[in-house]
Amino acid sequence: MREDGLDPVIHAPVRLRLMVTLATLPEGDNLSFTRLQELIGLTPGNLITHLRKLEDAGYVQTNKTGSGVNALTTVALTRDGRTALERYTAVLRQLLDTAELAQPQARIHPAPGTDGAGSHASNNHGGTRRRADQGNG
Amino acid sequence: MNQGSGMADDAGASVAAGMDAQGAAVIMQEAGGQARHELTINRPVIFVSWALVYLLGYGVVWLSVRGQRPFHAPEGWALALLALLALLALGVTARVTDRAASGVGGVSQLRRRIYWLSLAVGLLGVYVMQPALRYVGASHGVISVFTASSPLLVAGVVLAAGTAAWLNWCAFGLGVWLIAVAAFSGFAGPAGVWAVDALAVGVPFLVMAGITLARGRS
Repeated sequence: MREDGLDPVIHAPVRLRLMVTLATLPEGDNLSFTRLQELIGLTPGNLITHLRKLEDAGYVQTNKTGSGVNALTTVALTRDGRTALERYTAVLRQLLDTAELAQPQARIHPAPGTDGAGSHASNNHGGTRRRADQGNG
Repeated sequence: MNQGSGMADDAGASVAAGMDAQGAAVIMQEAGGQARHELTINRPVIFVSWALVYLLGYGVVWLSVRGQRPFHAPEGWALALLALLALLALGVTARVTDRAASGVGGVSQLRRRIYWLSLAVGLLGVYVMQPALRYVGASHGVISVFTASSPLLVAGVVLAAGTAAWLNWCAFGLGVWLIAVAAFSGFAGPAGVWAVDALAVGVPFLVMAGITLARGRS
């Protein structure tokens, strides 16, 4: 686990997108490899690499059926994966909340050598926290 | 992120890994929104297409029978138009469903198959019963009421029962409404039944399209 509490297996742009995409399906559903590839926009090789990492962590399950032209690979989020994503979302929400609270204090007591504006203008953590809530639907 | 707070340190650690907390939240929102958009069936389109079947198709059949004294039967061209509209709506429904459900397997796929199979078998039963009614000497009026309302009864029962799988009270309410319309519209008579069904089904379908669209946007 990382210092900030975010699961390092999930905390990578592509794997995070994979997890969130698979989490939109109801429990018990799966997605074909080709449809997942379409949705994420990755090459098959890249997708396999990231899926393998998630599979090694027990977060996704892949299943191959048929052979040759009829071969079908499906991917599904496991119960552990769903729990891990919920935990990830909760930690992320907490980090964004803390950042939101920290910002007004920083404006009152600016760090030496800064004018107190810092990165405030470019960050909107309130909106981002809402995004994190919506993402894990 | 550089104000010296504990959070700043945490977030800084995340930035070092190539993605900060804010970036992760943005990715989650975008990926979730895109997946929901791509994998959710566009129900408003389905509701509107079936609303047109009832408002136009049933409406035209009613126009073809409303002046008949004594009542004999809907005009062939009106029934042909109704069948054509129903086929078009069926095509739209299949296309919209296929677009969202393509590549999705598992429990939802199985539920969908059972749902459509139940509907197809129910409608087949209804259309087999029609000649049977004629065969036993049912009047034109009875056959007209049966033709107009029995598909609604089947659709209503399948929809209401199907919501046991989807746990959707709104769809359950619509199913019960279809059953009620099928049960009571016959009292409007062999000609009036077409007008009552057209309005009592077409308008709620348009309302459902609006509600579903508004829910999707909120």
